[in-house]
Amino acid sequence: MSDWRRRQSRAAVWFLAPAGILLAVFVVWPLARSLWWSFHYADLLAPDGQPWAGGSHYSDLLRDPRFRRAFANTALFAVLVVPLQTTLAFFLALWVNRPEPAWRWLRVVFFLPTIVAMPVLAILWTMLYQPAQGDETGLINAMLGIVGVPAQAWLRDPLLALPAIAFMSIWQGTGLQMMVFLAGLQNVPRETLEAARVDGAGAWQRTRHVVVPAMRNSIVFVVTVTTILAFRLFVQPYLMTRGGPGNSTVSLVQTIYETTFLAQDLGRACAAAFLFLLLVGGLALVQRRLLREERA
Amino acid sequence: MTRVRNRAFSIFVACALALAGCRSAHEDETRLVRVWAHQGQEAENKAMREIAEAFDDAHRAFGVRVELTFFPDFQYAEKLAIAAAARDLPDAFDLDGPMVARLVDAGLLAPLDAWIDEETRGDFLPTILQQGTIEGRLYALGAFESAAVLYYDREKFERADVVAPPDLEGWTWDEFLEACAKLRTAGIEAVALHMDESADEWYTYAFSPVVWSAGGALVSPEGDDVQGVLASEANVRALESWQELFARGFAATDPVDPDPFGSGTVAMDWSGHWMARSHLEKFGDRLGVMPLPRVGPEAAAPCGSWCWGVSATSARTEDAVRWLKWVTHPEHGVAPIVRANGAVPARRSAFASFPEYRENPYALFRRQLETVARPRPRTPFYATLTQRFAAALRDIARGADVRSRLETAEAEVQRVVARRRVRDGGVDGSAEAVP
Repeated sequence: MSDWRRRQSRAAVWFLAPAGILLAVFVVWPLARSLWWSFHYADLLAPDGQPWAGGSHYSDLLRDPRFRRAFANTALFAVLVVPLQTTLAFFLALWVNRPEPAWRWLRVVFFLPTIVAMPVLAILWTMLYQPAQGDETGLINAMLGIVGVPAQAWLRDPLLALPAIAFMSIWQGTGLQMMVFLAGLQNVPRETLEAARVDGAGAWQRTRHVVVPAMRNSIVFVVTVTTILAFRLFVQPYLMTRGGPGNSTVSLVQTIYETTFLAQDLGRACAAAFLFLLLVGGLALVQRRLLREERA
Repeated sequence: MTRVRNRAFSIFVACALALAGCRSAHEDETRLVRVWAHQGQEAENKAMREIAEAFDDAHRAFGVRVELTFFPDFQYAEKLAIAAAARDLPDAFDLDGPMVARLVDAGLLAPLDAWIDEETRGDFLPTILQQGTIEGRLYALGAFESAAVLYYDREKFERADVVAPPDLEGWTWDEFLEACAKLRTAGIEAVALHMDESADEWYTYAFSPVVWSAGGALVSPEGDDVQGVLASEANVRALESWQELFARGFAATDPVDPDPFGSGTVAMDWSGHWMARSHLEKFGDRLGVMPLPRVGPEAAAPCGSWCWGVSATSARTEDAVRWLKWVTHPEHGVAPIVRANGAVPARRSAFASFPEYRENPYALFRRQLETVARPRPRTPFYATLTQRFAAALRDIARGADVRSRLETAEAEVQRVVARRRVRDGGVDGSAEAVP
């Protein structure tokens, strides 16, 4: 190794040090600490010096009906939200991708819900679904009534509550994904599109064979991020239904939150958080494998 | 010139040193007691600050001073937990009554038995002592109490031909339902149950008496088990009766108006002491009050509120107890805070400062607290218990099957209980006993 190279690599260590230290202190150390706690009966009020629990937190969580229900709910939520939201955002982006000012306004309108705080939207949508009780119905039921659909107890029916929350979440999140797709659309080569048009390809064929392949990276990004965000579901069900009726909308993050701050069972909460981490990390890996990003 | 400057400099240094010396000597003399409190209404916070100032004035000779810090109500429990984990609890702090058992369980509260004599104890309402006593030892004392009653509008009763029970006895559940039905027939909405409360605690606080009155309970008498208790026959029967209120349209499951009684749309209000002042102002003599209706033979009422404890790790236990005694003193603590927040005084001798307690509704609050009121379960897993019970009540009000819903809640809470037992017994990690 030349002298110059050696000096460079020595300098590199110094340049990397600040970031490395920050990562170690604020990411690696807390992770290691939680992993340690997840194998102990750590109490939130007295975390250290508690007896060894082995893998019992993990095995108990996997057998806990409420935790399993939370897992199933969260997975179902992701299954509902990820494909629908991505598709919707994609077509919205195609639709509003025009230079005239009127369309720019439309983009703003679609983007607006993503910048409003989720708790505000949760309260608003609770009222839209059901402002009061019994037969008095919200705006959504009133609108459906016009086309002859009978009023539904959206947030009270164990079968409807989670889809209702998923619908509201899609409405809220689509704008952000749309913006990512709009940015991605700038990468679609105009010449190729023109060539396809000259060759007689219709709108659908152009989208399928030119636009989608050119936007592959944006799609991979959006799908991955939407999946991770979907698995972090918490605020909407917590504020709109509190996880009910029954446990039909309880989410994984809600169980972690409750285990930490209500039961104050830090060991079990850390175990639940690690299971959550494994799940989301695993999913992200699988997605990257399947949807492999193209490197420029 | 240089000499002058030098001399000035030496004088300055000498003065600075002297001052520093004075300050450190003074600081050594003043013992600072760190005190945390939850943030209440502004009037309440102001009263607390004044109580603290009065304490400082009265204890200047002893060299004791308090440093009072407020934290928002909704983050307070988390703040205490984090401080406990970081071994940074203050010397004295207030906490919600049902949390006492959990903090004692974690070894964070110091017992007060050695500091509070029998005579002083006898002056506190029995419910305050019960709330603060865990396994026979006293850990917390409050300055004020709470009460829940059934307020009613005499005029609406008259219009619907409903007769209130004699001598504040309270109705049986059937009598209560009958009254609701009569009101309904007369075109008057029957009762407000405030199911809009987003916090879980209202449900447990307000509707535990329904269960208790039927001979039921939320937890075993020792406070360490819910198996066969939470979904007991008595509880199922009590909550099936309670469910009738909603099934027959006597009460709203999702009310929009936070005070339908005050706004004149409802004839009865199932509510707490905190509404007494405004109801009296609005209704005057038209306001009637009675105990909550009972499902079984037993009269029951809720109680419990914020109370004060001393940290087990405090290096200034004696001074922290001085503060606790001050803040629960009938004149220095109870009277000013009760004047600010309108709660029920926690000490018998303090009632002298509140002439309104000779008449209803206030007289009923006191009578209930002296006779039938019970604190919520004193158990380390209360936080889980109240949340699961509240969720069950919410579902039951909206028509869920009472038995199976209570069984689910019971199994969920029991799982937490079983895990604790495994930890304490050091048995292998499997919670096989859990359904």
